[in-house]
Parts: sequence; structure tokens; C-alpha cells
Amino acid sequence: MKHLERGVGLASAPRDFLRDLNADNLSAGVVAGIFGLSAGIIHISAGTAAGLPKDFTLLWVISYLFINGLFGLLLPAYYRLPLPMANSIPGALLFAAIIPVVGLNEALGATLMAGAISVVVALAGWMSLVMRLIPMPIVMGMVAGVLLKFGTNMVMPLQSALLPAMVMILAFFFSARFLRRVPPLVVTLAVGVIYMAFSGADFSSVEFSFRMPEFIAPAFSMDAFLAYGLPLALILVGMETPAGVGLVKGMGFKEVPANAITFVGGIGTMVSAFFNLHSTCIAAPMTGICSSPEAGTHDKRWVAAVIVGIIFVIAAPFYGFVFSLIEAMPNYFIAIIAGLALLRVISSAMHITFSGKHEVGAMFSFLIAVSGLKIFGIGASFWALILGALISMLVEFQDFDFSLEREALRKRFSAKKVG
Amino acid sequence: MFKDWSISAITAGFVAVLVSYSGPLMIFFQAAQSADVSNAMITSWVWAISLGAAVSGILLSLWLKVPVVTAWSAPGTALLVTLFPDLSLGEAVGAYLVAAAAIFVIGVTGSFDRIIRLVPPGIASAMMAGILFQFGVGVFVSLESVPALSIGMILAYLVFKRLSPRYSLVVLLVVGVILAVMLEGASLKGVTLSLADPQFIAPEWSWHAILSLAIPLVLVSMTGQFLPGMAIMRSAGYNTPAKPVVTVTSLISFATAFFGGITTVIAAITAAICTSKEAHEDPDKRYVAGVANGIFYLIGGTFAGTIVTLFTSLPGEFVAVLAGLALIGAITSNIHAFASQKDHLEASVITFIATASGMSFLGLGSAFWGVIVGALAYNLLHRRFTGRKSTQVSDSAR
Repeated sequence: MKHLERGVGLASAPRDFLRDLNADNLSAGVVAGIFGLSAGIIHISAGTAAGLPKDFTLLWVISYLFINGLFGLLLPAYYRLPLPMANSIPGALLFAAIIPVVGLNEALGATLMAGAISVVVALAGWMSLVMRLIPMPIVMGMVAGVLLKFGTNMVMPLQSALLPAMVMILAFFFSARFLRRVPPLVVTLAVGVIYMAFSGADFSSVEFSFRMPEFIAPAFSMDAFLAYGLPLALILVGMETPAGVGLVKGMGFKEVPANAITFVGGIGTMVSAFFNLHSTCIAAPMTGICSSPEAGTHDKRWVAAVIVGIIFVIAAPFYGFVFSLIEAMPNYFIAIIAGLALLRVISSAMHITFSGKHEVGAMFSFLIAVSGLKIFGIGASFWALILGALISMLVEFQDFDFSLEREALRKRFSAKKVG
Repeated sequence: MFKDWSISAITAGFVAVLVSYSGPLMIFFQAAQSADVSNAMITSWVWAISLGAAVSGILLSLWLKVPVVTAWSAPGTALLVTLFPDLSLGEAVGAYLVAAAAIFVIGVTGSFDRIIRLVPPGIASAMMAGILFQFGVGVFVSLESVPALSIGMILAYLVFKRLSPRYSLVVLLVVGVILAVMLEGASLKGVTLSLADPQFIAPEWSWHAILSLAIPLVLVSMTGQFLPGMAIMRSAGYNTPAKPVVTVTSLISFATAFFGGITTVIAAITAAICTSKEAHEDPDKRYVAGVANGIFYLIGGTFAGTIVTLFTSLPGEFVAVLAGLALIGAITSNIHAFASQKDHLEASVITFIATASGMSFLGLGSAFWGVIVGALAYNLLHRRFTGRKSTQVSDSAR
């Protein structure tokens, strides 16, 4: 357990939560929460595309919100850092694709093993090694590439829905410039909702339902592990944690508990495996929103992440209702809000990617992540990291931080000799 | 001229032409593919741009006694890829003529430097990066359909970039052709020496073409070619004025436009090869490299048909990968230029996103909207009004 970082603790968390709550972190938390709720659409479309029953997909999303939200309540509260939890989107696509091939129970068994691998990596303290092998500009290049799609989604509605898109984007610019006290996203959200109300959005398809996560027993098979469990473990350890940690560090937080995030994610993934869910990990886009300047001063941004957890847990049983509500809003509404929310995240991710070492590797990582390249069924974000790091080693090896590592190894080695 | 002759200068001129034909020309081929025109028409285009580069390069190098390397506007050809086939050939030629006229006015009045200062630097490089970005992504899209060829070419690019950066594109071209023949079964049997037969295209006028092609073409040619091109000349120690270069190239562009030649400009990617020490020890004798460069363009233009059949007999992915790898350096430096600064970063990122999204609205391309949205964001978010400091954004971005 010695590698797990120590946090502030949970005892005083409720009191501190009320003390630190303010308009900035509340609005960032609400926006990130809405963003997370809307991510369920990805699960639903992936499930539908893979031909999975609607009932299963709904349970999947309910578990996602409930279990991820529960862990997302505890982790930021314990560390007082903006570390919202969700699940891996690339993992979700893999999961949906593998179920028809190996069966649901076997897929969940592989999920259990992927979680166990994360726990082992975290307990062994290998996170810092993984992160040194894949340096920050390359990780951020991948993050920027993945997020860029949200950015282009924000621009695309200009083609078909010029007026609402323009109104919302202008509202964001104007309030960013002239209303210093009110977070621009809240203004944009309000303006957007008012516009929708006036343009007569149709809410008749909204229906109420209540369901809790249900237990499903995992089963084990080698096929499922190789095709899905191992890639999932790589995605969780090699990508989701570094992406989240990278974002938080990029926003100016110095001490980020990389091992603990992996550990909690691993435990969460193991729990998920019993409830029809494929993973629990730090949530990159939501981390971006919760840790950004939109969420107020640094020491109070953790509140935003806790709010995300609260929203998830409360919304989970009612997701059937929430989903029909989201469906009632036009698609571009969520896209524009998410795009604007992520604008500063994309900006700072690109800033970190392209203003230092590893320029070639970072560029390739960025391009690969955008291209949506898929090899062996594993998605672009994974290859962006691996190929970016390999290319960087080939072309710009001098940029790697191995001199320090070698120093540390030598010290440890000589200490052992003495002992 | 004859007393200043040297092998190194002629080699430099040759390499510059070879690099141009192996890299930037690929974008023009992609534009031709999206316009779905005949080989004879592509040949005429290649003839026109080569001739434009040849005549202007030879004239300017001999006149100014400095190595002026000219070429066609590479970011301009990148613009074409997204605009075709909605844009007709006649409309494109009309837009080329408008652009040439605009650049001529800018050159004659000497307002080049003033216009450059008007566009915020981040917005200009963000638009450039956005236009070129899709070519970089294209490398990895091709990787899925032809993995062996693409991976081989990427590896060759990386290895030779490390070993000899200057010749890496040329080596990449050779390796790529060999790989394409071996792995993809491309046949080079049809490649024979043939003279180009220029085809006249009657210009057509439309607002759509002027707004979405001519204006961005002038902008990217100014910021993406003339600005870095002149900077390369200056850094090599040549105090060449911009006026004659801009004026002569715009006049040549006017003539070549009728045969499908896009705007002739000062070279940015290849200029450094001819202005550097490798061309000749004595800076006063490097102008021979500029002249040689022109002569090799003349030869290339004459046999444009051969060049076209060579590249059209290779798989489309080959062209995509080659173009993407040739542009990665330019994409990186442009993204670096706007992303490494905190100053008006968000407006630049919006410009980049809007341009790279490839959206089109009211028939106008994404490069145009990128600049519009970016300028709007720049003025609303970052611009300092009289005496007042730009407040929240620049503060909270830190």
C-alpha cells in the first residue's frame, strides 16, 4: 500500500464541501454532470449498433451512472482534487462489440481481470514509470486529438442550425468578455434553454421510469480476456489515468495521486464487473471541465467533481427519464454546450502538446487520435500513445527523461548492494 | 551568369524542384482527384504551375542577383481539395485571376507589410494549420486501407528525417514508389516521355468562388508563402525588397491562370535549400541556384505529362501518405506558432477547429468561416479596447 498517495480524508468532507461550494464550481459541476449524462448516448448507440437488447443497454447506463458516480463522490472528496469518475468510452465501444462474440458473462469476467491488473499496477507503483515512458506532450496530443472531435462537432451545427448555434456561441463570447462574475457557460446554457423554449422543442416523448443496477455473475474465458480484457487494462492504465492526470496537472495542480486513481479505478472496475458495467476510471472530458478555470479557484475545484458524482448517483435510477429528455433536445444543443465547455481544455491541451519537447511524437499522437485509426480492433487513442511514444524514441530520444530514472535506479541498486 | 556557375548551386536548384514535385505537388494531385478531371487537364495544370515558377524564378534571380525560388501556392492547392467538385474549373480560374489582381495591387502599392500586420499572427497560422491538417490525418486514414505501404513509408520518413532531413522527401518518394510497385502491384509501364499540351480554360465569375477561394487564397499565399519566403531570404542575409517579387509573381500568375495554374508565389518549403550555404559558399553566387531551379521547373513543365502518368499509375493512398508526410513539418510549425503562445490562444484554437472541421455554409468553405469566426472571437475575447486591459479571459487562462 506504500505507493498509494495519502489524501485529506473523508471525515471533514461534508463540512468542507458546504464551505467551498460557490457559483463557479457549482456551474462547472452541473455542466460536467450534464456532459456525463449525455455520454450515455454513446453507450446507447454503441449497444444498438452491436445489436444488444434495449433493456441491457439501459441497465448498462444506469450502472455507469450509479457506480461511477459513487466512486466519483469519494475520490475527489478524499483528495480534495477535481477527479470525477466515469467509464472509458473506448472501453465501452470494445465492450459492446465483444459481447455478441464471447457472451455477456465472459465479457464481464474479462472486465474483472482488467480491474485486477489496474490494482496490481497501482500497488506496485508503476504508474510513474508508465507515465515517464509516455511523456506528457504525447498524452496531451492524444487528449487534444480526441477532444478536437467535440470541437468540430460544435462547429458543424453552424451548417444546419445557424441561428441557435450563433446565439449560443455569441452568448459565450460576450459573457466571457463582459460579465466577469457569471460563468459564461451558465449564461450560454440559460440562453440556449430560453431559445429552445421559444422555438417550441417537443417534450411529449419524455416518460418516467425508475430502475436500480442489477447483479450479473461474471464468467471467465481466455478468448474474452485476450480480445477485450487485456486491451481494456492497457486502455485504463496506459491511457485513461494518464489522460486524466495529465489534464489535472495541465491545469496547474502539482500533486496528483496517479497510483491512487489507478487503484480506485481498478477496484471500481472490479465492482463494475458484477453489475453489467465495463469500467470505472477517471473521466477525461469531465476532468477537463471540473479542473479548468471555469470551476473557480484551484483549492475549491474539487467541489465540482463531487457535484458530478451527486448528479450521477441521483440521476442513475431515473436515466430512462433523463434519456428521453435529452432525446427531446436537439442534438446540436448538447454538442454546442460540450464544445464550448471544452474550448479552454482543447486550448490548453494543444498548448502543452506543442510548446515543449517531443514535438514529432506529440504531432503523430495528435494526428493518430484524430484519424480514428483502428488496428486489431483497438481504437486510435491507444495507438496514438504507443506509436507516438515509439516515434518519439526513434526521432527525438534526447527529449526523454531517462537520465533521471537511471540515476534513481543506480541509487536503489547500490542501496541494495549495501543492504 | 556563366562565370558564377557551380555544381553545388545547380544541385541545390535540382533538389528544390525534386522536393516540390515529391511533396507539395501531391496536394495538387489530390485537388485534381476531387475535381475528377482528365489526365490531359492535370497535365495542363502541372505545366502551368511549373512554367509560372520557372519564368518568375529565372527572371527574378537574374534581375535581383539573389536566389529567388518561386513555386505555386501550396496552401492554396490544399484549399482546392475541399472546394472541388462544387466549384467549376472556370470559376476556379476566375478566382485565380481575382487573387492575382489582388496580389498585384498589394505588391505595387507596397502594402504587403501592412496587411501582414493586420491579421493577428495566431489566426493566420491557425488557419494554415487547419487547411493542412486533413492531409496529416489522411496518412493514418490510409494506414487502415493499405497498412504495409503506409507503415513502410512512415518508417522511411522517420528514419531519413533523422539521417538526412534535406533529402528525406526525395528518398521517401523513391522508397514509396518501390514499395507501391512491390506491395500494391502498381505498374509503371505506361510512364513514357511525353510533351505537355496546355489547355485553355475560360474564366467564369461568381461571388461564391471569390469569397471561398480568391480571398482565402490571397490570405494563405501572403501568410503561408510570401511571409515565410521573405523571412527565409532575410535570414540568409539577402535584403531583397518584397515589392518586385510580389509584383512579378502576380503578373505571371495572371498568365498561367488560364491554363489551370494556381497562384505563383515565393517558395517557402524549398527556398531555404537554394539560399543556404550548401548552394554556394559565396552568397553573391547563390542566385545561380535560383536560375537552375527555374530551368529544372522548365524541364519538369515540358514533360508534365510524364510526371502526371507516373503519379496517376500509383495508388491513391500513396499520394495521400506522401502529401501528408511532406506537410507534417509545416503543420507542426503552424500549430506550434499559435499553440505555444498564451496570447489570443482561444481565438486561434477556434479558427483552427472551424477550418479543420471542413464545414461549408452558404456555399463558402471552412477556411473562410475559420477566419470569420476567429476574427470575431479575437475581437470579442482578446482585443484591447482603448486603454482597457483585456480582462477575464487572459487572466483566467493562466
